[in-house]
Order: sequence, then structure tokens, then C-alpha cells
Amino acid sequence: MDLTREEESIFNGEQGEGAQKAMELVVALGKIYEAQDLIDITSAHLSGASYKTIGDGGLKYLDDMVKSGAKVSVPSTLNPVGMDRERWKEMHITPQFAEKQLKIIDLYGKMGIKTTCSCTPYMGDNVPSFGDHVAWAESSALSFVNSYIGARTNREGGPGALAAAILGKTANYGLHLDENRKPTVVIDADIDGSVFSYSMLGQAVGMAIGGGVPYFRGIKPVVEDAKTLSAAMAAAGSVALYHVEGVTPEAGNFDVSDLDVIHIGKKELQEAYDKLNTTDDVQLIALGCPHLSVKEIHDIAMFLKGKKKRNKDVEVWFCTSSIIRDQCPEDVRILEEFGPVLADTCMVVAPIEGIFQRTGTNSAKAGNYLPTLCSQKAMCRDITKLMDVIL
Amino acid sequence: MGKATGKVVKLNDAFSFLGGVDASTGELKVEDGGNISNKIFVFPKGKGSTVGSFVMYDLMVHGKAPAAVINRSAETIVTTGAVIASIPMVDNIDVDLICNGDEVVVDGDIGTVDIKGVKCIGAVSSALIVDDKVLLLKRPKTARSFPDVQSLVAGKIEPGETPEEAAKREIFEETQIVVDKPNVSGPKIYVREGDVIWEVYPFMYKLSAAKPVLNHENVSYEWFPVEEMKSKKTTVAKTNEIVAEMLKM
Repeated sequence: MDLTREEESIFNGEQGEGAQKAMELVVALGKIYEAQDLIDITSAHLSGASYKTIGDGGLKYLDDMVKSGAKVSVPSTLNPVGMDRERWKEMHITPQFAEKQLKIIDLYGKMGIKTTCSCTPYMGDNVPSFGDHVAWAESSALSFVNSYIGARTNREGGPGALAAAILGKTANYGLHLDENRKPTVVIDADIDGSVFSYSMLGQAVGMAIGGGVPYFRGIKPVVEDAKTLSAAMAAAGSVALYHVEGVTPEAGNFDVSDLDVIHIGKKELQEAYDKLNTTDDVQLIALGCPHLSVKEIHDIAMFLKGKKKRNKDVEVWFCTSSIIRDQCPEDVRILEEFGPVLADTCMVVAPIEGIFQRTGTNSAKAGNYLPTLCSQKAMCRDITKLMDVIL
Repeated sequence: MGKATGKVVKLNDAFSFLGGVDASTGELKVEDGGNISNKIFVFPKGKGSTVGSFVMYDLMVHGKAPAAVINRSAETIVTTGAVIASIPMVDNIDVDLICNGDEVVVDGDIGTVDIKGVKCIGAVSSALIVDDKVLLLKRPKTARSFPDVQSLVAGKIEPGETPEEAAKREIFEETQIVVDKPNVSGPKIYVREGDVIWEVYPFMYKLSAAKPVLNHENVSYEWFPVEEMKSKKTTVAKTNEIVAEMLKM
């Protein structure tokens, strides 16, 4: 790989052990993907924030990084953690878990990372611009910024994104390069346009193509739709970039006339739905995967306003970022009558296994991960149908 | 990065550190596992959750990390874990050539693996083809290498010989058949047998007719249809691959 004199000196340890370690990792990962050189980044977003997912090994790693004096050099944000910092008892979290989780947040903070802890930093305190090169982990968020904003990132892992954040550079390969951003397949989508239909569309496309760069026709996603679509395709497959005709910023650059066309309609959406629904009976309904937006919170509040929660056996969690929760106190007050509005956490990275066995969600992403990461049977429905369970 | 020496613990399948090993002991949780602590851990490729990188770090924290990791192909999870836990790692290695229990020296800086007590010997292996059939020679039960299996016309390269000269000589010695230029010179392959790694130069000769006359090195011969070679199980390791590869060329 071609390193500048400056990068070479970091690699050789002339600028401290922390930077050397970061450079060693970025270069090692770049070699796997045959990167020619490194590229400057304008921001990073890190995964590996919940104690549930990273465990004692991850905690010790972060502790050692802090001790080595590691500091990020570009604006960096963090994924959701395993609990709401103030309201973890309402989530049935043990004090032992809480202590380690708070320690992890503290360690990330000491490295200069903003600890809002959200999977939708692009709706909060980390918003890339068109053409920015960034190093983002969190599959749903990186797909959103690649696709809807036109920033450029690969699917980074937690430590890789942290190393990039420390250096302000990442290896230049994959989706940083024009040639890899071309569509690989056309998707003609026939959906009803509800947010839930975008969840099922993403699931169906992920199941149909696995990876690649789909080019959508026939849809007009707004931010919430794109957030859901990004998350679903990244969970059901490994899609990190897509284009939407007439909507996303790069879609107009490509001639797709020679590409294969896949039609996604009623039949495919039903197959996606059947795949994600493994129970009709739930103990927890969790919304906000990815984190709820201000508009989604408002819509839910308008739907629930004046209604009563009749089924007391089923818990309801609304998951969003602390930034968004602070923006809509009136609506949050309405939601709180039905269940806690939890900040900076979610049902996937919280240790819900052992507390619940059956969870309802409107998210295809959560529908994929609840069975594997949380040992749950899942019910995947539109929000109003989920709310029918408790009203 | 870095160097290490140690005994090999090898797995033949892709491996996930998450769920695959106890980080506090280094004990593998897979069948026929063993303990990777301070060993040279050899497996084809990483797989599974990205949390696997942190499990490698956890192994290091407990003093139970492998001394080095050797992969056929590197991927993100194991590479990340190896770097953050300072475990020397080498990839692009033919892990078939490394056996459980080998003493090896790993140099992560230049990417080499040296197996102690194992020598590399140059050899030739020639496929003689007549009418879409390949000549297979049956080796005696008493042969020092590859006893009681079928092989192509094969033998060691003598000092001062080129591989092509060795192939021509071996063919004449073992079959009395005289060949001219090979139709195909295949890519070099390596085969491990005990404390020898055979560095094999494959050749293919397409002949219009041939009548082998065997010497003492082989007990019988057979003209075998090339398209059925894939299912042939009684040959020296990699014979099928050699033939298939050269037929494509």
C-alpha cells in the first residue's frame, strides 16, 4: 500500500503507540481489500457499544485504548448501548450490567467520542454531506448515509472504525471508489408506501439479492422510509448502498438499461413477512429499530392520544436517541402512558433474553436479530397492528 | 506483525472466535479442538460475529492467546482481533501443508511459515494421455513414498536437471515411453507427506498411442478415463486437481 511519509511515520511508531496500533489495523484491513492508499475522512460512527455485545474483552480493549492515550481526530459518534442511562431498572437490567455499561460509555467519552449513542446519528449530531468520505460502522446508518446522502463509507467494524477515527483516515477501497457505487440490479418495487411496507421491501430485497447495489424504481422514500429500508436490507442481506430513481443523489449518474430487473410485489412481501413472524403472542412490543424520528414519535402519539393501555401484561418500549427525545416532550408525554421512551438503547442490544421470550416489532432489522442475538420469537407487524395488542 | 514459534493446533473448517473458544482458558469448544493458548493456531478462514475480534483480545488479557494465527485467507474479524491483541498473523498460506503438532516458526512481518524438520523436495508428475484416458501407475506396498496408491508418472528431480528433463527421464525409466515436448506445463503444487513437502511440477503429454513397459518402481498400470478422474479415490493426493487443471489449459 502507498503510504505518505506522515502515514509511514505513524506506522513505524514515531507518533506513539496508540496511533501506531490504529495505523496497523487500518493498513491490515486495507490489505485484505487491496486498497492502494488511505483516504481522509470527515467523521466516524462506531459500533461495539453495548456491554452485551462486546463483553469483558471489549471493555478491557477500550480501557487499554484510553490508557494508551487514544483520542479521535474527527467528529465521532457511538451506537446504541445496552440500556437507558437513567432508566435501566425499568428495562430489568441488573446493577452489574449497568456498572459495566456505564464504564464503556465513559471510556468512549474519554477518547473524545460523542456519547449520544444512537443508530441514527444522521438525524442528530453526526450528519455527513454529499461526497464526504467517512468511516461508519452500524450497517443501517452507513447504508443510509451512503445512499440517501451520498457520503462514502464501507461497512466498517467497531475497532476498524475507531482506528479510522483516531487517524482521521481509512483505507481507500470499495464504496469510496466510483466504480463500486454503480448499481448491480434494478428493483421494480410495488408497495403501499407505508413505513412498514419499506421494512418488508428491504427484507424481500435482502433475501433476493444478498449483497450488491440495488437500483429502485417505483418508490419515493422519505427519511423514515429510507432509514427503515436501509436497516432491513443490511440485516436481511449485506447491502451497504442503494439508489432510488428520482430520489437519491447519485441515482441520475447511471444507465441501468443493461441490468437484470427483479420485481418485488405482494408475493415477495408476503414471503418476507412470513420469514420474520414466528409468534402471534408477545410479552414486549419494542419500537425504534432504527431509532424513532421526531415525526415517527409524533405519529405514534397522535394515534395513541386519548386511548388507554388495557393489556397490562405486555410491556411497550419506545426507543430513540436522547437528542430526539428532548426535541418532542409533548409527544413523549403521551407515549409514556403506554411505556417508557428509552434513550440511546434498543431491544436488540439490550440484554432482553432471560427477561422476555417473545417480542413484537415493526422493524425487519429487529425481526432478523431478535431470534439470533436475543433468543426471541418475533412478531413483525405495522405499528397500529402491534398497538392493537395493548389497546 | 511480529514473530512466534510454537506447536500447531489446526482446524480444517472456518472458525468463529465468538462461541468457538473459552477466552479464560484458551480451550476450543469445537470437536477435536484442543487448547490454543500459546500455540500456533491454524485454520482456513474466520467467520461469524464481529465480536470475535474482542474475544481474541480477551484471550490475550487472560494470557491464553495463541502465539500466532495462520489463515488461508484473511477476513476482517480475525485480522482486527490479531492486530488489537498483538497476535502475529500470516495469511495466504496453504494450510493443507501444515499438520497438527508441527513445530513452526511464524514471521508475521514478512508473511512466512517455516515448518521445523520438514524438507521440501522437487518432483515431477506427468499425465500421459491417449484417447481421453490418462495413464495411472500402481505403486508397490513397499514404496517409501505414497505406497499402494496410483499416481501419474512421477519422480524426484535430480540435481542439475530441469523439471522438464526430469519428467522426460522419469517417463522413460518407468514406462519405456519416449516423449518430446509436453503439451501443457501446469502450475506448481505442493503436497505434504510426513516430514516431506513435495514441490510438484506437473506436465501433460498427449500421445497418439503408447504401450508402457514398467520397471520395478510400479506394479501395474491402467488407462483411466479423464472425465471420471474426479471420482477416483485411490490416487496420490492432488492427482485429480493436477489433471483437471491442465485439461483446462
